[in-house]
Amino acid sequence: MSTTDALLVVFAMALVTYGTRAGGIFAVGFVPMSARVEAFLRYLAGSVLVALVVPATVRGGTEAYVAVGVAILGTLVLRKALPAIALGILAAALWRAYMGAT
Amino acid sequence: MSSASSPDPQARAADGGTPAGAAQASATATFTCAGCWRGAKAILAVLPPVFVFGVAFGIAARGHGLEGWLAALMSAIVYAGASQFAVLDLWKTPIPWLPLLVATFAINARHILLGASLRGLCRGLPAWKVYGAMTLLSDLNWAALIAAERRGERDLGYLLGGGLMMWFTWVGSTIIGAVAGGLTLDDVKNYALDLVLVTFFATTLVGLRRGRIDDLPWLVAGLAAMAAVWFLPPNWHVLVGGLAGGLAGLVRDEMKRA
Repeated sequence: MSTTDALLVVFAMALVTYGTRAGGIFAVGFVPMSARVEAFLRYLAGSVLVALVVPATVRGGTEAYVAVGVAILGTLVLRKALPAIALGILAAALWRAYMGAT
Repeated sequence: MSSASSPDPQARAADGGTPAGAAQASATATFTCAGCWRGAKAILAVLPPVFVFGVAFGIAARGHGLEGWLAALMSAIVYAGASQFAVLDLWKTPIPWLPLLVATFAINARHILLGASLRGLCRGLPAWKVYGAMTLLSDLNWAALIAAERRGERDLGYLLGGGLMMWFTWVGSTIIGAVAGGLTLDDVKNYALDLVLVTFFATTLVGLRRGRIDDLPWLVAGLAAMAAVWFLPPNWHVLVGGLAGGLAGLVRDEMKRA
């Protein structure tokens, strides 16, 4: 691939990607704000997160379940995200060390 | 739907119809350095995995015949890891333009939902600030901001601050990977760094939960995302799950009202 072509590809990718970043806020600008839209956007935020977490956890196998489970419990108990993440990772590392590789 | 209002974010402050029980939604958002700083601090925990994935991308890019400076440029202006990895396999002559751009769009289409959900946090801000901040929108700084919003954060700078931290980390680590080398994705797995990202999202989710009202939408979102993983081409699951969950909540509310 020539340098010019490669540059064209990278710029085209950047354009498409920025389109997705700006597109959401641009699109909702056309929708009049209502209680319904407000509620939808709120469900959307949580649902997107669920859609990020669930497949990644299933794909990650047992140690991902351990990490996510401990992190969620940790957040509920400690009310702080950072130590909860650390505990989750630690639990997964211990699991991997003592229960064998997945 | 037919009465389209201006897409200009400034016009949104004038939009009527603020729902009852969502007092914060009517407040105007801000954009300050202090907000940037808060966002930058909130994102610190996920910088190590971002760094390692950046190094891995630099190495992988060189392995696929990209020059180092081109890999760095891609990280700088595309700034979307999953799609950058994906196009490496399409990096050949003649350029497969359509698959390449479709893949880029498909993998990054979830940003549309992320951006849409930030509407309340853009209220009353000038367009250049809103669209400027969106250049650095990604799952991680978005998740951090959404969680902070629940605690009363009203500053879009939060998104920019977190995004800037990640941008410098991502570009810097790409350069390091392209210059150095030796690390593979397997090493990343060995240090459990890939799990940092998913636990980060999971803890965000805990803060976001309002109670049983979220049960049905989230259940639908999870099932739809898994169905997308099984039945659709890769990388549609966030978009499908997010939309399905959002619609499920909306439909449930409508049926309750009826």
